Order: sequence, then C-alpha cells, then structure tokens
Amino acid sequence: MVAIASAAYKNGVNAIRKRFRLGRVLMFLGSCIVTLFFLFPIYWWFLSSLKPFGEIFHSPPVYTGFEPTLSWYRTVLLGESYVTQEIQSTGAVTGEGGGSYYSVPFLMNSIIAALVSTLIVTVLAAMAGYGLSRFNIRGKVHIVFWILSTRMMPPVAVAIPLYLMYQSAGLLDTRLGLILIYVAMNLPLGVLLMKSFFDDVPRDFDDAALVDGATRFQAFRMVALRYVWAGLAATAILAFIFAWNEFLFALVLSGDHSRTMPVAASTFVTSYGTEWGYLAALGSTAMIPTLLFILFVQHHLVRGLTLGGLRE
Amino acid sequence: MSRAVTGRHSPDKPSHLRRAGEIWDGPTPWLILAVLWLAAFSIFPFLFAVYRSFFTFNIQSGKFVPAGLENWVMLFEDPRVWNALAVTLKYVSLGLGIELVLGFGIALLYNQDPIGVGFFRTAMVLPMVVPPAVVALMFQLMEHDSFGVISYYAYKLGLLTPQEPFLGGEGKHAMAAILLPDVWQWTPFMALIILAGLRSLPRHPFEAAMVDGANAWQRFRYLTLPMLMPVLVIAVLFRVIDLFNKSFDYVYILTAGGPGRRTEVLSYYDWLATFQYTNWGYGSVLGLFMLVIMVVFGNVLIRVFQLRW
Repeated sequence: MVAIASAAYKNGVNAIRKRFRLGRVLMFLGSCIVTLFFLFPIYWWFLSSLKPFGEIFHSPPVYTGFEPTLSWYRTVLLGESYVTQEIQSTGAVTGEGGGSYYSVPFLMNSIIAALVSTLIVTVLAAMAGYGLSRFNIRGKVHIVFWILSTRMMPPVAVAIPLYLMYQSAGLLDTRLGLILIYVAMNLPLGVLLMKSFFDDVPRDFDDAALVDGATRFQAFRMVALRYVWAGLAATAILAFIFAWNEFLFALVLSGDHSRTMPVAASTFVTSYGTEWGYLAALGSTAMIPTLLFILFVQHHLVRGLTLGGLRE
Repeated sequence: MSRAVTGRHSPDKPSHLRRAGEIWDGPTPWLILAVLWLAAFSIFPFLFAVYRSFFTFNIQSGKFVPAGLENWVMLFEDPRVWNALAVTLKYVSLGLGIELVLGFGIALLYNQDPIGVGFFRTAMVLPMVVPPAVVALMFQLMEHDSFGVISYYAYKLGLLTPQEPFLGGEGKHAMAAILLPDVWQWTPFMALIILAGLRSLPRHPFEAAMVDGANAWQRFRYLTLPMLMPVLVIAVLFRVIDLFNKSFDYVYILTAGGPGRRTEVLSYYDWLATFQYTNWGYGSVLGLFMLVIMVVFGNVLIRVFQLRW
C-alpha cells in the first residue's frame, strides 16, 4: 500500500518536474519567436543598408552572398556624393550623381530637439506632478482631465494655428520652435506619470522634512524626488521617444535649418523613385543614439511604466 | 512673532531666506509653468480652429470669407467624412485589439522569467525608437509587390497574390499594410506597460488562491485581470489617442489614403482638406470633430472604469 502510494507520488513529482522543464523550453522558444518578429524588420533594414544597388531589389530576398558596401553610409554620414565615390573607385563617372543625401545635420537637429525637450519636460512634469499630488486644489479632477485632453488635440488641427503663431514670433524653421511644441506634446503624459508616482510617496515623508525646517522646495528636492527615480526615468524615456519619433509638426514647422531626421528621410522618396540605400543607411544610423539612451535607462523603464495605476 | 505662527521653519534662518522658501507653500509655483506652457499650445490653436471654422478660404483672392455654419453643415453632408470615420474606427479597433492581445500574451510570457528575459525585453524596445515615418518607409520596402521580403513570403504561404498585394491592386490588403507597421511598433509599448503592471501586483492573493486550489485560468480571470484593470485602461487610452491621431505618419507615406479611399483615415483627410485643398475652415471643422470624438471617448472610458487620478 505504502509502496504504491510512494511510487505514485514519485511519478507525480517526476511528471511535474518534466512539465516544468518542458515549460521552460517552450517559454524560451516562444520568447525567441516574439523577438524574431520584432528584430527581423530592423535586421532586414540594416542588411539592405549594406547591399549594393541591385541586390536591394532582388527577389527572392538575398540574405548572404552579396558584396557588402559602405557607400550608402559614406554619402549619408560623410557627404561624399555618389559621383565622387565612383571616380575614386573606377576613375570614371558612369552613373548620375545622387543629390544631397548628407544627413548629419538632420540627425543633430533631431537629437538636440529631443534631448532639450526631454530635459524641460522632465523638470516641469516633476514639479507639476508634485503640485497636483501634494496640494488640495479646487477642481483638481478637471485640471487633470484638461491636461490629458491637450494630448487629444489632433496634431493636424494644431499645425496651421501653430504655423501662424510661429510665423509672427519668428520661430519657423528653428530648433527652438520644435523644442517648444515637443515639450507641450509630452507634458500631459509626463505630468500624469509623475503625479501618480508622487501619490505613492507618503506625505508624512515631506511633512517630516517640513517640521525639521525644510522649505517645501527642499522637501521636494531632497526627500520626495528620491523616491520617484523610476518615474523620472520613464518620463524621460517616453518624452525622448515621442519627440524623436515626431513627424507632422516637424514636417510643417521645420525647414532647411531645422529639418529633423524623419522628415529628411521622407524626402528621400523622390519622383524618380525611393532611394532605399540612403534611407536604410540613415535609418540604421538613427537607431544608435536612441538605443544608447534606452540602454542607459532601460532597467527603470519597466518599473516606471506602471504609470502608477495600481495605487488604491 | 511670525516665526511662531508658521512654525515649520527653523528659527535661526535669516528672514529674507525664509520668505523665499515660503513661495513654495502653495500649489501655484509648482503648476504655473506647465499649465501656461500647455495653455499656450492648446488654447490658442483651439480658439483659432473654432474661429476659422466659420470662414472659408478663397484661393483666388487669398482672403477668408465669412461662411456662417457652412463648414459645419458640410461635415454632415460630406460622404468622405463618414468613409474616413469608418476607416479610422476599423483601424483603431483592429490595431488596439491586436496590440492588446499580443501585448498581454508577451507580458504574461516574460513575467514567467524565461531564460534570457533581459535580452528579450530590451530587444522589444527597439521598434519603439524608430520614427514611424521611417518605419513606414521600412515597411514600404518590405511590402513592395515585386521585391518586398514580407510580400515574398506572403506569396509563398498563399496569404497574398501578386494581383492583390499589400500596396496597390484594388486595396483589399491596404488596411493590413498600414496596420502591420503599427502593430510591429506599438505592441512592445502595450507589452511593457502590462509587464510593469504584472510585476507590481501583490503576491499574497495569488498565494492564497493557490492554497485554495484555484487553477491558472481562475487566478488569471479573478485576480490578475481585475487588479490590472487600471493599468490596462490607461494603456488603452494612450494607445487609442495615438492610433486615432498619429496613424497619419503611416498613411501619409505608405498609401496616401489609397487605393481609392480605403485607407483614408480622418487625420489624413484633415491633412488633405487643410494643406492640399487649402480649405482651412473645413480643415478646422474636421480637427474639432476629431477632438470631440476623443474627449467623449476619454470621458466615457474614465467614467466607466472609474479611473481616479
């Protein structure tokens, strides 16, 4: 009796162990497939940026066996025109010269607009979030919903009034103009995020500091702010991503002096066809700065993205 | 004397410094900059749009002519608006549905801590940091009817035919063509938010449920889902706003609203009305129409799920 029972128990344990191990393997395989789905387009894009002209348009798709070339990168990052490269390599001009695909200034515009606006958003959102969290304001619900609703404004509808505003203020085609609107665009999410994070920090902490003679600002800077690093990181990451990705405002408000990378990329689609090689090179390069930024702060991202919504 | 009244400031501090610190005792200085900033960039454009919606722009004379309610009447009589609304709703609901289900699945998977989860999670951030305009161009290359890599495999698997490719043809698959980049790019956003939510759930209820013999489905249905609801609602709200307003980037580059008007979403039609047909008055009406839809949606969502901020 006992022997049978213990045998059954052993079988049970073994079955559970086996299932557990099988589960781990299946989970790993599942994660690999998911990751493949997310990485394949990027991999393909990067591969295309190394392909010579003809191979990009090859069907069936070419994965290996082509002669990798850096000529797209040399044009996009160093400003060497197609013609110059042709002369260097063959000593003669055989093709039509590609126009101006030198893109470093556009990348710089994008980086500056995204970084500066992110910095401003993070500071303003932390302060406003603290204010909304700590003070009893009449009609607070309405203020919060109004802040949220500013994000609901369709950018297409905002573009024309903004254009006229900028025209009269001399802000058209300036980085400053882009920074100003990017801050406005990202503040709602930032303020809501920071408010919910400050709500999670007990008020007693601040009160203790206040009793000890600190000003409100010192209580904020030296006490409350210490507990919301994850929120600050999430705010910064999201603000950076959204500013970096923004297309429509940049399309309408920027010009030769301030054109951002996404808008520049869209101009590679010409009436003669799309310059896939230059596009792939630009797109691949453009992933590097954001990737660095994300790697730097990404372990905060998952915690920060709770959006504080679990507070009861 | 006043020291004794305010009480909370250290008595040895010089009086001018103490007063400087007191500014921060009320809510105003904390909020003023953010509120003014948002007001400048929302109230003026809003009032401008309302004002302009009562004018039409005459291209010949280059002047605005008062038009009364003409633009507003046109909104209800213009079949393109209702087509655009239907296309937008289809796009938003399909996009949201797919991203929510996939995102939830991925979050549940990664929450089990598979081997290498750190790498998998970081890899997932990558699509989000490529500008949608560039993503649209990437997918244009990959969805190209003759040399696109996705098209190639879709033909092989019999999902598509060269007669009805992603882009072009009669546009049977044009909706899929603009949804694919959106799903690829923003499913990670959903997954990360839900994953963050899962990670912050308390452990006790789950342990108790295990002891009581609840199976995995019951634990998910009666514990995970209700506790996660606030996070889900916020994620849905922000995704819907973006699906509704920012589908523009994909449509502008991938399909330009075509073929026919199969992918003409509201934001793209508003763009056409404003910039292509230079009908600023009507463009303003369309923009306000979109804003109203979003504000109503946001209010309903917050009321129904009793979201507290």
